[in-house]
Amino acid sequence: MTTRRLLSFLPVGFVAVFLVLPFLNAIATFFSVSTTRDVLTNPSMLRIIWFSLWQAVLSVLVTMIFAIPATWALSRFQFPGARLCRGLLTAPFVLPSIVVAAGVLAVSQRTGVVSILWAHVVFNVAVVVRLVGPRWEFLHPKYESLAATMGASPAQTFVYIVWPNIRSAVISATALVFTYCFTSFGVISIVGGFSRRTVETEIFTQSVRLGNTDVAIALAIIQMIVVLLVFQISRPSLRQFSSVDVITHPMSLFVKPRGRWIVLASVGSPVIVVSLPLVATLIRSVSYRGHISFHAWTTVLGGTLPQLTVSTWRVIGTSLLFSAITAVVTVSLALMAAQQMGRQWFQYPEQRRILRFITSLPLVVSAATLGLGLVITFNKDPFAWRSHTWLIPVIHALIALPVAIRILEPAMQAIPSSLRDNAALLGASPWHTWLRIEIALLRPALLRSVGIAAAISLGEFGVTSFLTRSNSTTMTMAITQLLGRPGALTQQSGYVLASLLIVLTLGVTSRA
Amino acid sequence: MKRLFVFIFAVTSLAACTSTSSENIQQKPESVTLLAYDAFTPEPGIFDDFTKDTGIDVKVVTGGDSGVLISKAILTAGNPEGDVLWGVDNTMLSRAEQASLLMSYEPVNTGDICINADKEWFASSDVPMPTRLEDLVLPQYRGLLVTQDPVASSPGLGFLLGTIAHFGEGKWQKFWEALKGYVHIAPDWTTAYTVDFSGSSGNGKYPLVVSYGSSPPAEVLYADPSNPLTEPTTSVIESTCFRQTEYAGVLRGSTNSVAAEALVTYLLGKRFQESMPLSLFVFPVNPDAVLPDLFVKFAVRAKNPLTVSPQDIELNREQWLNEWRALLL
Repeated sequence: MTTRRLLSFLPVGFVAVFLVLPFLNAIATFFSVSTTRDVLTNPSMLRIIWFSLWQAVLSVLVTMIFAIPATWALSRFQFPGARLCRGLLTAPFVLPSIVVAAGVLAVSQRTGVVSILWAHVVFNVAVVVRLVGPRWEFLHPKYESLAATMGASPAQTFVYIVWPNIRSAVISATALVFTYCFTSFGVISIVGGFSRRTVETEIFTQSVRLGNTDVAIALAIIQMIVVLLVFQISRPSLRQFSSVDVITHPMSLFVKPRGRWIVLASVGSPVIVVSLPLVATLIRSVSYRGHISFHAWTTVLGGTLPQLTVSTWRVIGTSLLFSAITAVVTVSLALMAAQQMGRQWFQYPEQRRILRFITSLPLVVSAATLGLGLVITFNKDPFAWRSHTWLIPVIHALIALPVAIRILEPAMQAIPSSLRDNAALLGASPWHTWLRIEIALLRPALLRSVGIAAAISLGEFGVTSFLTRSNSTTMTMAITQLLGRPGALTQQSGYVLASLLIVLTLGVTSRA
Repeated sequence: MKRLFVFIFAVTSLAACTSTSSENIQQKPESVTLLAYDAFTPEPGIFDDFTKDTGIDVKVVTGGDSGVLISKAILTAGNPEGDVLWGVDNTMLSRAEQASLLMSYEPVNTGDICINADKEWFASSDVPMPTRLEDLVLPQYRGLLVTQDPVASSPGLGFLLGTIAHFGEGKWQKFWEALKGYVHIAPDWTTAYTVDFSGSSGNGKYPLVVSYGSSPPAEVLYADPSNPLTEPTTSVIESTCFRQTEYAGVLRGSTNSVAAEALVTYLLGKRFQESMPLSLFVFPVNPDAVLPDLFVKFAVRAKNPLTVSPQDIELNREQWLNEWRALLL
């Protein structure tokens, strides 16, 4: 029991220290009732809230249209290039928004809602593939075959067999995508053009550009309430299906008798939508005003980043180091939390709900507000952590934690308790059962969460841009710096580094 | 999976080793921390002379873009993250003064925010290059200029302030009203210069962009070596230049203000000042500093720049930005 307490205490304590505390401190310092009232009655602020909502709903719809068929195809069928497709679909999630945004702009040539939707699809297809994929793989196709044999139409099979099994994962992915789009910052501020403002961009503008921290806090609270409501509505029901007995492997596409093109189209169309901006990045790394030149590549691979004071290897090393630490911290904490939530829910439903609530908070709190909160909270010895380099991967882990839990929890629930009981009956120790049964069955989900945590760390540049660093320039930061300066070589080097980041992320995410 | 964990373990332990060893090195007697924005990229080794002369180590820490840096510094005024602050400019100086952020400060460099033009585009077009702000509202310049959102971008703000200085309070609004259908507003410098502007890497469709008087030398110095430039592809329209001044100062609450003062003095000295043009692309304030050739030839420092006093900016910034938004949105 004590170990169990400790296991659920660690993730909660982690979120409490690095998120709840600084956020509450920010509220306590800057909150003002009258400002909040003004914000709620100001028509331009209400327009911002309304725009944030509808663009997010639309973004979710478009994302799902591309992502659900792709998830189906990738978790059911094996074909040459499937792994690369999975990598291509999931890599952009972690790219710096400046890269995706510039890629989208290069193709669409205009700012506005269409570009916002496109960029959001590029980022968020990954969330659905990652979250729903493992659940879908857990559902043995024999049930679908059986239903079909007994005369069920494909639609009936989906509604009665597949949907109940993937529902909780789809709902949780929907809530997550909505939250990311609703609170999206980089995408909106670049491809939205200057007139498209959302709550998060306004929080940043008010607090950082105009110095109206009280207005920013009021907006942050409003944003938090909306996201909490979404999580409340999307809370998975306690009744879960677990119709799993073996882990399935995708079947070869070549044995599928009919309709192979449907599978290929389901994967192909999102791959095209998602990879166009990435291809644009690659093209810009070698072309300048019609000339093709590989000088930027030789410069960057030779170790030099034009105009910057750090070397290529140092920047890549820092990024990899941060992402490795993030992966270790995130996955350990997520495993503890998922274990507690997945297992004893029938005994401690209340405890489970609290755990779920607290570990979701990193999605709820505005990045700019958390950034400011960290700066004003961890500012005195012995807690003067704001200038410590280790805080950066820790904050990355905080941001990755809810996603990792959402990947691990459904997989954990899908493990039939009979397996555990049988193992115990046959004399396996709890440790042995955990290692040989749970970890073994969780392997795909574990790998996915390692991949996504590492990837989130590679691309994060929101909260941590508020932290002070010394000698710890990451790839994302260096890309922003290079693209922020004139000169062909500098610009192209920015795109070279972005291409390297894409390749690196593809590597991390397609292997996992 | 095993391989992955071995890799993670290896990297983490490597990190542990390197971080302990760097802590050991930092056991030196005295050091001073320079707090700057992310884009602060001084010449490598520039502080070695300072350390040799004074025995004081310089630690450079960066904390976000200039807006984030100043906002953070104001929120933590009195309990700063460093000893010396680099990068308050004249558009933010009054905000810093109100928060008593700095114990003392000095102007450390200047730079001009000006319209840059794509020389090739104008050479192959019937339209002459504009020479003054008033030209921009002539029909032939419709759809040629891209500037930045002044709320989010400092060149965007500089350009807006320049128009206010030029046309005057109460009259600049008319200019912007006329400019409204003629100008494209980008969210930031990167999008404006590298996506929308036709004269640089982006191949966009706007031959005029708001950038810096020092952008042309940067285009030459950092041209593609396989396609070297003897002169820039862009030029600066001098009458549109707004003067930006950056300050360096000792942060209130610095635990080592004597060393901090010494560092500010060094930043104003000839050695550091002469390194700034080609590392930070700004002009020195020290009259003894000699400009590099590239700057003499291609950088523009307006003879009669547009200026607005820091006090006026602080007093009116929010009002101006709101009016601008109301006009342009």
